[in-house]
Amino acid sequence: MMEMGDWWRRGKWRIMVMLTMLHIVGILIFTRGFLLTRTELPYYSNCSDVSESPCFTGQSNPYQNQSNSRCWTRPAVDRLVIIVLDALRFDFVAPSTFFKEPKPWMDKLQVLQKLASTKRSARIFKAIADPPTTSLQRLKGLTTGGLPTFIDVGNSFGAPAILEDNLIHQLASNGKRVVMMGDDTWVQLFPHHFKKSYPYPSFNVKDLHTVDNGCIEHLLPSLYEEDWDVLIAHFLGVDHAGHILGVDSVPMIEKLEQYNEILDKVIEVLDNQSGPGGLHENTFLLVMGDHGQTINGDHGGGSAEEVETSVFAMSFKKPPPTMPSEFDTSSCEMDLDQKKTCISSFQQLDFAATVSALLGVPFPFGSIGRVSPELYTLGAGTWNLENNIEGNCPNQKEEEWMQNYCNVLCINSWQVKRYIDIYSASSVIGFSSEDLLHISDMYAQAEENWSCSSESLLLFKDESCYSSLPLKRKIDAYFKFLLNVAELARSKWTEFDLKMMGIGFVIILISLPIYFLAMMTKSVNGFSSLLFGDSEIFVKLVFALFMVVIRACSFLSNSYILEEGKVASFLLATTAMFKLRNSIKREKMLVEAIVFLLLITILRFTIEVGLSKQAATSLFMSTHSSWLVEIDPGHPVWIYMAEIIPILALIFLAYLLYIIMARSSCHSIWKYVVLGTILCYILIAVHWASESDVLSSMLMLQGIGRNFIPRIIYAVGLGQLLLLAFSPLFHKDRDLESKMHLLIKTLAMLSSCSSTIIVLSGKQGPLVALVTITGGYCIMRLGNIDRGSTDKVAGILTFDPLSVTQWSLLATCLFFVTGHWCAFDGLRYGAAFIGYDEFVLVRQAILLMIDTFGFSHIIPVFGLPFLVARQKLLGHTDQDGRLLLLQLSQMYLMYGLITAASVIATILCVIIQRRHLMVWGLFAPKFVFDVVGLILTDILICLAWFYYVGRREDGTQLTTLDHRD
Amino acid sequence: MVKASTTENPSQSVSPMQTFFIHLICGVGLAVGLWVAHNFYSISLISNPSRTLRLIWVTMCPLVILFYSCFRKNPEKCSYLKAVIRGVLALPIGALVNALGAIALGAPVGIQYFPKTVNWSLLMSLFTFVPAASVFGSSWEDWRRIFAHTKPNASVDYMICLPAHGAVIGAWFGAWPMPLDWERPWQEWPICVSYGAMAGYLITMVLSFVLVLARGGQQHPKAD
Repeated sequence: MMEMGDWWRRGKWRIMVMLTMLHIVGILIFTRGFLLTRTELPYYSNCSDVSESPCFTGQSNPYQNQSNSRCWTRPAVDRLVIIVLDALRFDFVAPSTFFKEPKPWMDKLQVLQKLASTKRSARIFKAIADPPTTSLQRLKGLTTGGLPTFIDVGNSFGAPAILEDNLIHQLASNGKRVVMMGDDTWVQLFPHHFKKSYPYPSFNVKDLHTVDNGCIEHLLPSLYEEDWDVLIAHFLGVDHAGHILGVDSVPMIEKLEQYNEILDKVIEVLDNQSGPGGLHENTFLLVMGDHGQTINGDHGGGSAEEVETSVFAMSFKKPPPTMPSEFDTSSCEMDLDQKKTCISSFQQLDFAATVSALLGVPFPFGSIGRVSPELYTLGAGTWNLENNIEGNCPNQKEEEWMQNYCNVLCINSWQVKRYIDIYSASSVIGFSSEDLLHISDMYAQAEENWSCSSESLLLFKDESCYSSLPLKRKIDAYFKFLLNVAELARSKWTEFDLKMMGIGFVIILISLPIYFLAMMTKSVNGFSSLLFGDSEIFVKLVFALFMVVIRACSFLSNSYILEEGKVASFLLATTAMFKLRNSIKREKMLVEAIVFLLLITILRFTIEVGLSKQAATSLFMSTHSSWLVEIDPGHPVWIYMAEIIPILALIFLAYLLYIIMARSSCHSIWKYVVLGTILCYILIAVHWASESDVLSSMLMLQGIGRNFIPRIIYAVGLGQLLLLAFSPLFHKDRDLESKMHLLIKTLAMLSSCSSTIIVLSGKQGPLVALVTITGGYCIMRLGNIDRGSTDKVAGILTFDPLSVTQWSLLATCLFFVTGHWCAFDGLRYGAAFIGYDEFVLVRQAILLMIDTFGFSHIIPVFGLPFLVARQKLLGHTDQDGRLLLLQLSQMYLMYGLITAASVIATILCVIIQRRHLMVWGLFAPKFVFDVVGLILTDILICLAWFYYVGRREDGTQLTTLDHRD
Repeated sequence: MVKASTTENPSQSVSPMQTFFIHLICGVGLAVGLWVAHNFYSISLISNPSRTLRLIWVTMCPLVILFYSCFRKNPEKCSYLKAVIRGVLALPIGALVNALGAIALGAPVGIQYFPKTVNWSLLMSLFTFVPAASVFGSSWEDWRRIFAHTKPNASVDYMICLPAHGAVIGAWFGAWPMPLDWERPWQEWPICVSYGAMAGYLITMVLSFVLVLARGGQQHPKAD
């Protein structure tokens, strides 16, 4: 116990490094379980690829000569109509007899039900979607045949367009003309693929009709046109009605009835034209949902209601198809009219492969689905009618079906195997080798001995009829292989590893008690063993902890995460009011308290303007635009002000630095550093002046200056930091403990960081810097309000916990004030290119990082010692020096504790809400930002500790403690 | 927690019955305001917040000022009328302070919010500033004691201090549901904040009465 305590006391830096390691390890483990990653491959399938497959050896391909247009599979349908009804629940389509009790929203799409029960060419499927069940991810999944995850590492980072191989790309590149109408998400995903498109804005959830009416307007006329091969109509009304009012509502039922009417008309048109030589002689209709929804209209997660949607498929070809009963997995019930309705099951994963097979285009490269037997049969079951030889075998038709299907599966399996092989070869986080071996085994099994071709079946031809047994066995082997691959991919790409997440969370959680212990042990032995001797400090501690806890709790709801900046400023204003009350109580520093409140009011408005930028890009925020202040930015006075004010602020900052330098008598090194910063500020001012239209003509700086000046500033900043880092080598200062010295060190550090951060932040930089300085000054003054008179250290804490909390809240506010928010589109990509034109990943990433975390992490952590500074500078007594060290260490620990606590809350929230609608849109980006922020804060605290204190504390601490003992 | 003050309090002593009566009047005033809005104008806080708030504060204003003025400090030196005028003057000043506080905390600003904010802050002023102004006038010491130190001594201090703090804290908590995406009409500014303030006000009035009662019970034997 004693050794432990000694170790504990000897060096705070060890604890800080240990905490950093703890956080990094915990976060890494958690992230492995939580952030599902998948690498997008830049490869595309081509028609010619199929010759590499083992499926066509020699003349065994029976259709080789029949059609030149044949690619991978023989086209089975000529035209395809896909009607997507967004958020179509399974029970909207299936007859109510399939469910325990009928609900008001059931049996509304009666056209589909009637057709499914009366015609053999129509069938209802229960389609299972893979989470995340949001439209964008689902459309991506449907068209690529893959499983989109949170991080699809690929070229499309930031832009929504799908660059992976997909169905629409294959259609377009194989000469199929695609027409799209409805939800504009399609146009975002496939900007250049459609021959014609009629997109309508989808983001206004309250608008039930715009998209649908647009669809209706174009859908029916298009059916009479000849200029398309694939028609996609995406209706959004049901999704929006669910989002606003829920499933059990009048508009929802009205919407379903409206759809019933439209579908009736569509089917009528298709049916009328389906005669021989008609426009829709060989047309296939798919009415499908992209995902389901809960009774409240939410979707995104993985609950049964959300993933269960429906597909209605109908072929207008005559006669209707047949299929061996052993592949028919449907379950049948009587519907309301006492007719038998059968419903099959279908994985959305299989959609891309099945449709590709039906239309005869290559399967998308990354598709891991299998060609669904039932859906394929509906479209392709009867295409080889002309080959039908009159025979007395009753199951000859089935036999041919199987042979054909087996061929398709052969291509299907070969394509999936190719993808898995190339994926594991090129992806960093691929599949484990055992899994791969297992899959290869199964593929080999499926391939061995039997080929689907008729040649190998000749062996059995001697008998009166074909024996379908070997074919069936082969199809089963393919099934086994494909299903195994899908299962493996699902476990890898869509399932959270709860065990990993739990372990990671616990590891991070352990850091909390360490923070407390580290903060306590020292002071117990140090100055006062009086536990909470001063009730004032106790009240403040409780209040500060209350603020931290309430902020942490706020992360449990997506609404508060969206409005995090406002929440932070709300809490900051609350603490400021508490301080104001305090200063009224003491009748001191009223001005500072009021200035601080005013500052927060300004921050609050700036945050709202920043959020308005987010509203422009984020769908979630669009409903909240009424909160914003309206400013007309076009006015020339504003433009002029925007040019001049930052430069003035910069000059003021430089002046401030100069004054402080002139007043203090300090060592030359620090002086040089600060002088360098002043020079940088002047350079920045020149840089901005040269960029503005008004002044650029006067100064001949445009060409080189644009990139030259920022580079000089980066170089100077780096030089300053190096100088500071090696400053102990130049002169041994024993007067480290003096406050003045600490202040100068802080100033030098802050000033050397600030120039780079300001130039990256752009014009807002100097203003934000001024706000930071004013805020920090007020917090510092107000924090020392109780100290001035009685210079005693009471209780367990040697500082004002509320000040550190305020400092941390201010840092959070600054993050939002500088125009960031916790989403990837919240990064200011422009900042990465200040001083550089070309993109170099590491360099630009560092610049972006400095811009993103500069004002919210780097400056606050290095500026924390300012809070220690008191007005009264005491003498260089040993006691005083040790007190300073103690204060500094406790403040850093407290700051770390606050950051860690909020991140832990975020992580907890992510665990709880991992199946939430917005987990990928909101919680996961927030998690990434928080986690990066925490690690950065930890590292910065360690660096700051080394810089301000170094390891010297060991010696002094030990001697004094020995003395005491 | 609170010791009976040893110094003689110059304000009129207040019996628990009087406390009960005043709190009852204030509570009833609040209820009447809501009731009138609902039955005579058929509006509610949700459908028309600014008019309802105006009705409430107009109903409560005379009650609060007239009754609290009875317990003014130094009744010999300060006439009843003066106390009433003090209360009336404090109404807009207190409203301004409350409005500024709310804006610092994040209350929306804009033309469409202006009447709502004005009426809400007038009501808050009635809960917080007006009683104190009527009783203490411009005595900075007393204001500081009540609002900064939160050290009420006499019964009348409790009657002012507790409901004022209750209203503010209630309003603070009332603001929390506002950012939630429930899309309920009452999440608009200042509806839920007003509900929170009223709830806090009513609860702390009961508390204040209980404390005065308890204090009275303790003090009477001492006085004898």
